[in-house]
Amino acid sequence: MFHLHLSLFSKAKALEADIDRFHDKLIDASMTFTRAIKIYTTEGRNPDFEKHSKQIKQIEHNADELRRHIENNLYSYNLIPDLRADVLELIENFDKVINKIDEVTYMFYAECPDIPEEYQSSFNDLVRLSADAAENMCKASRSFFRDIGAVRDYSQKVYFVEHESDLCSRKMIENIFASDRSLAEKIQLRQFIDGIAEIADEAEDFIDRLLIFTIKRDI
Amino acid sequence: MDLTFLLYLSSGVFLGWSLGASEASNFGTAVATKMIKFRTAAIISSVCVILGAVIEGSGATQTLDTLGNITSLAGAFMIAFSAALTTAWMVKLSIPVSTSQAIVGAIIGWNFFAGRPTDLTILSEIITAWFLGPIFGGIFAVILYALLKLLFTHWKLHLLRKDTLTRIALILAGAFGMYALGANNIANVMGVFVKSSPLPPLALPFDIILSQEQVLFLLGGIAISIGISTYSHKVIETIGNTIMKLSPLMAWVVVMAHGIVLYIFSSSELRDLLISWHLPALPLVPVSATQAIIGSVIGLGLAKGGRDLNWSIIGKIIISFIITPITSAIICYISLFFLQNVFLQVVY
Repeated sequence: MFHLHLSLFSKAKALEADIDRFHDKLIDASMTFTRAIKIYTTEGRNPDFEKHSKQIKQIEHNADELRRHIENNLYSYNLIPDLRADVLELIENFDKVINKIDEVTYMFYAECPDIPEEYQSSFNDLVRLSADAAENMCKASRSFFRDIGAVRDYSQKVYFVEHESDLCSRKMIENIFASDRSLAEKIQLRQFIDGIAEIADEAEDFIDRLLIFTIKRDI
Repeated sequence: MDLTFLLYLSSGVFLGWSLGASEASNFGTAVATKMIKFRTAAIISSVCVILGAVIEGSGATQTLDTLGNITSLAGAFMIAFSAALTTAWMVKLSIPVSTSQAIVGAIIGWNFFAGRPTDLTILSEIITAWFLGPIFGGIFAVILYALLKLLFTHWKLHLLRKDTLTRIALILAGAFGMYALGANNIANVMGVFVKSSPLPPLALPFDIILSQEQVLFLLGGIAISIGISTYSHKVIETIGNTIMKLSPLMAWVVVMAHGIVLYIFSSSELRDLLISWHLPALPLVPVSATQAIIGSVIGLGLAKGGRDLNWSIIGKIIISFIITPITSAIICYISLFFLQNVFLQVVY
């Protein structure tokens, strides 16, 4: 019994460490993304931006490997089935945000859009808001595992920041379409704005699910 | 041991079997959520119920013995048989029945038939205990819930560790619940046979000697275990998936609360301790496990902010308090008449 008890906790400890590392990946991706877009908007696609872009790709790849590892371990670890299903769903949805960050960075890398000077600061603001939503989502998710009472606080921040990002992206789109640029340019810029704002949307979707799982486990 | 004794004991064994099949729901949530296999739950339940019956079964049995001093084997057979029949009938009517209420009714029926007076002081103690069972279940559930809430507010435990602890706690609570069920409810199953049992004491390894009464309780415990192993699977799944569709932590609260209720109405040591502390002692009376569970679930619901009491289920419990003993007493009285006058058996 004592051996069983120890082995159960050592297994849990390894899995806890993996879940923590998985959360770290989103923080890494989000901070690298903010820096990469700042470099792009001011200096264009230079070697420094490319280096950051590759870093994000690597983070996304590592996160995928970690996710698969956690999912396999969750099956072998004898969790209460209902909790296992919820944790698996959370991990999958969490990964979607990292994937979105990678996807948007790659769009900048591949399409090299021309960001007019008057929109550069708005682009950086929008990126900051989306990154903020992702980071608060990460904190909420960590709290779900470690301090369930704090989930609501971080979730509220995500909702607030996501709303701000919505307002910011709409204003940018309206300004761009009110300008005398070519339609192709306008549509391309809108796609980039939508892409960045979708990071915050994904974070909000994640939080919606997380809150349901939290209510289920609230004592 | 002659064949007649075994034949007469069969009604007690049947009652034990039906008790195991219907009231062993402690592992409901653990089995329904596939936390442990039914086989494992059945083995733990069987061992604990037998231990509870043999170690602490005598307290509640003495109370039933005071209510009706049954010295005839044929009379004991008919009391247990009437109780089993009433229980089966009430289950069919979906009334949360208690074997305790059925057996007490049957003993009173026997008292009437034998023309012996019923000790009203003991009877009122027993009826009070029936009411207190679900009420205490609710109170203990509220206390345990509050303690659990306090614990997890201050103890920031990782979800995975909490899960591991919950699983271990549920299994331990289930085992405790079964021990308490054995200690409390063995009186229903074998209590009426104690005076007429011809079984000799039994010597076990490690210098353990079971008294005549304990040998009877061992047989009753085995009958309950067979009921658990052969027929409780569906009941456990139904309870786990419907009545007790609670989160694992809340299921722990309910199982613990009902286990405590059964234990405090069974343990002579606890009663002596309360008396030594000049606290009011509770009577040692067999109470209903199902009704204690219902009381715990209602208490938990209220503690979690629910405002509506399920009056329908409370009404059914109160109906059960009234009609189960009356039905059982009538069946017992009529059956004893036939047993005495048609089959020419000495019933008292």
